[in-house]
Amino acid sequence: MEDEILSLAQARGAQAEVFSSDENRTVVAFEANEFHSQESRLARGYGLRVVKDGRVGFGSSSDPNKVGELVQAALDTAVFGKRCGFEFPGPVQCPTVKTFDNRVIMLPASKMIEWGRELVDAVRARVPNLKLDVTIARVYRETLVANSAGLNARSSRAVLQLRATGLVVHEGLIWISEYENLSSGAPPAIGALADRIEERAQFARTRARLATGTYPVLFTPMAVLNLLQPILVGANGKHLEKGVSPLIDKAGQKLLDEKITIADNGLRDFGVASGPFDAEGVPRRRTVLFDRGVFTGFLFDLATAAACGAKSTGSAGRNYPAQPQPGTSNVELAPGDARFEDALADIREGLLVYECIGGGQSNVLAGDVALNVSSGFRIVNGKVAGRVKDAVIAGNVYDMFRNVAAVGDTVRDLGAYYVPFVMFPGLKVATRD
Amino acid sequence: MDNLKPFLTDVLSGVASQYADIRIEESEYTGIAFRGPELDQIGRSFERGGCIRVFHNGNWGSASFNQIDGKLKDLAREVAASVEALPPRPETLGTLPALSDNVAVPEADDPRKVPLEEKHALIKHYNDILLKTAGITTTVSAYADSFGKTSFLSSEGRFIEQESVHTGFSCRAVARDGTTVQDYSDSFGKTQGFASLTNREPMVERIAKVALDLVKAEPVSAGKYDVIIDPLLAGVFAHEAFGHLSEADFMSTNERLRELMKVGARYGVDDLTIVDDGTMPGERGSFRYDDEGTESDRTELIKDGRIAGHLHDRQSAQRMGEQPTGNARAVSYSFAPIVRMSNTYIEPRAYNIEDMLDAVEHGLYVCGSRGGMTELESFTFSAQYAWLVEHGRQTRLLRNVTLSGNVFETLKNIAMIGDDLVMFGGLGGCGKGGQAPLPVGLGAPHILIRNVVIGGR
Repeated sequence: MEDEILSLAQARGAQAEVFSSDENRTVVAFEANEFHSQESRLARGYGLRVVKDGRVGFGSSSDPNKVGELVQAALDTAVFGKRCGFEFPGPVQCPTVKTFDNRVIMLPASKMIEWGRELVDAVRARVPNLKLDVTIARVYRETLVANSAGLNARSSRAVLQLRATGLVVHEGLIWISEYENLSSGAPPAIGALADRIEERAQFARTRARLATGTYPVLFTPMAVLNLLQPILVGANGKHLEKGVSPLIDKAGQKLLDEKITIADNGLRDFGVASGPFDAEGVPRRRTVLFDRGVFTGFLFDLATAAACGAKSTGSAGRNYPAQPQPGTSNVELAPGDARFEDALADIREGLLVYECIGGGQSNVLAGDVALNVSSGFRIVNGKVAGRVKDAVIAGNVYDMFRNVAAVGDTVRDLGAYYVPFVMFPGLKVATRD
Repeated sequence: MDNLKPFLTDVLSGVASQYADIRIEESEYTGIAFRGPELDQIGRSFERGGCIRVFHNGNWGSASFNQIDGKLKDLAREVAASVEALPPRPETLGTLPALSDNVAVPEADDPRKVPLEEKHALIKHYNDILLKTAGITTTVSAYADSFGKTSFLSSEGRFIEQESVHTGFSCRAVARDGTTVQDYSDSFGKTQGFASLTNREPMVERIAKVALDLVKAEPVSAGKYDVIIDPLLAGVFAHEAFGHLSEADFMSTNERLRELMKVGARYGVDDLTIVDDGTMPGERGSFRYDDEGTESDRTELIKDGRIAGHLHDRQSAQRMGEQPTGNARAVSYSFAPIVRMSNTYIEPRAYNIEDMLDAVEHGLYVCGSRGGMTELESFTFSAQYAWLVEHGRQTRLLRNVTLSGNVFETLKNIAMIGDDLVMFGGLGGCGKGGQAPLPVGLGAPHILIRNVVIGGR
């Protein structure tokens, strides 16, 4: 099919690139401790990018009978399209990375249901009044990038992920989320998952009050993602190209605490966003964004790199209905040397944050966040002293990361994010208490 | 697309489960986006695919696909076999009567009939208005339209062909003064044709003006305030803080929440009525039939301060002994439908904005939305900006304004409801269960709420 599309477009005087994905998704879901559904999703489609008279056009189709319309749509849009500053890359040697395990590909849905039921039972035995939702999803995806420069690159990836959300009703509703990346083929660690859910359900049994003020705040790995997001948006080459990133002209400057090293790694074995090449056929790599606090560079796809006088970092992402955009693959926040228990013990009065809502609602580009702490606990003399309700942490993540008290020594795999805990010495916390 | 009834009937003919349905969608989409003076993206897409669902002995199975051929009959059988192999659960689905209907979009509203040149010219025109404003450093302006046709057949003999149209645009202006960068955005979207998007210059001009004003604004101080909320943000509140809570899929499995949301429970002032209405002509979240083939409806969620109803798909309605409300919606053919809102709004009452300002000694008048999220009782949503209100007068412009709290307490703290309902659509939509963006409408008049927690520095 890609050859037919490419030759049709080339016959009309265009350079062309076909991106296709063929995805087979299996999802089993439990809701409120009960099996809920088993879903399969099969999706195949083509995205066609053309360069005609120096301008870029785009079309996509999931309808195999519409090849002619697809080529016509791409050429029609190229009349108005953006001037093209890049060339489609030819064939290149790509690095190797493990992106699937046969145990994951062969795993029957009945086994996924069995795991879900085991987790529900394990949690129910530990926390009788908790209602658990579990989703286990496997995505097997074959990707192709072919272009008129002779590239024809194919890869496959199988990702298996478990998400669990527990709900406890106790002086209001308390949510407890857990996650495990199972893409390497090992079965889920049911006992450990259930233990973590039980621990937080116990923390939430008592209600604590925290007056509005400035406190040491420990963000667990899942909560750290809310703080990383604005920085990753700033490091996106698209925002350099458009002149709106706060990181413009800051390369080589120490902007964050030296405990903070952030990298994007498209070559992490069994990473949910790993692959030998990106969505434009450029080899994936590991790109350091912040090295011990010093900003080291942006992430680029072909078009943004060309516009910024840089080279693609192999960071193009897309699904077939959309054009490529630079973005992160697997994000790594390097571990520090702090043990969780020691960091907690250092807090006389403070807040332990597990989950937030409201990420991404502020002026993200400027680094502003306003997080409603949906799962947070008061710490008194190093011990958890009950749940804090309706607390808000607002501020600027660049300011927050400039002064970090501790970074955890253990990295959690959160699916495209590999993150330890981070403790800040003093953040403003607004509460109703 | 020809009448698919014979084909769909054949696909389902090998399934002997208690219930099955199949939905085939064919759609065309056009998108154009400017960033600053340059066209950033332009593209057209064709989508064709579908979803088969099977219900048997209390269990659901589904499969979506986009290769439409004779093999679908085998896929339907496979789904049925896997569902029938599951341990039975004590649940039924109820029944809907057989029906045949065809819902067409007026030809004048079909965006496929509008040349690409006109769409390009319109969004470029709006983008140029922003760019010509002194102090605006960059912009993002996007146009999108889609035209779809869905064919639905259930094993109960409901056959529905339904066309849909969505058009809209959004504009964002970024202003900079030294190191201070601020942005303001607004969007417009309807289930109407291209013509509804023209003559929107005043809205675009206002976007540039507010972005410029915000550069001079100061961050708000954290604390508790009496707040007047503008119609857009009040609509976001109705959707985020209360609408999601009214979605019965979750409630139907949770006894405690069912108790909290019991019909008759009082959570607001007598003046408070919140409605979800999928039948409003032209609004972004309107449709005739939902993705289970149930007619859309007007559902009062709160009436006169008391819980009056819930939003249902067929299963949640059956579980709770209520009627389906036509709120089972899927974001595309790739997904089975789940309980979603349509157009959610607070009904207008007698007060005007002056009454509310007079009632505020020291508070905020918060405007616009940067989105919101809830985790049931907890909500947080961000305004685009706020005015400080002192002794009934708007004095200073403030930014970084985030409202949060407990929805039940906040509803009780509503003090005044205005007379000026406005409905909003936009280009984006709502996200739930991995399905986003689903087109929804929302709206409200101005409302005054006492003692809201505002996050800030």
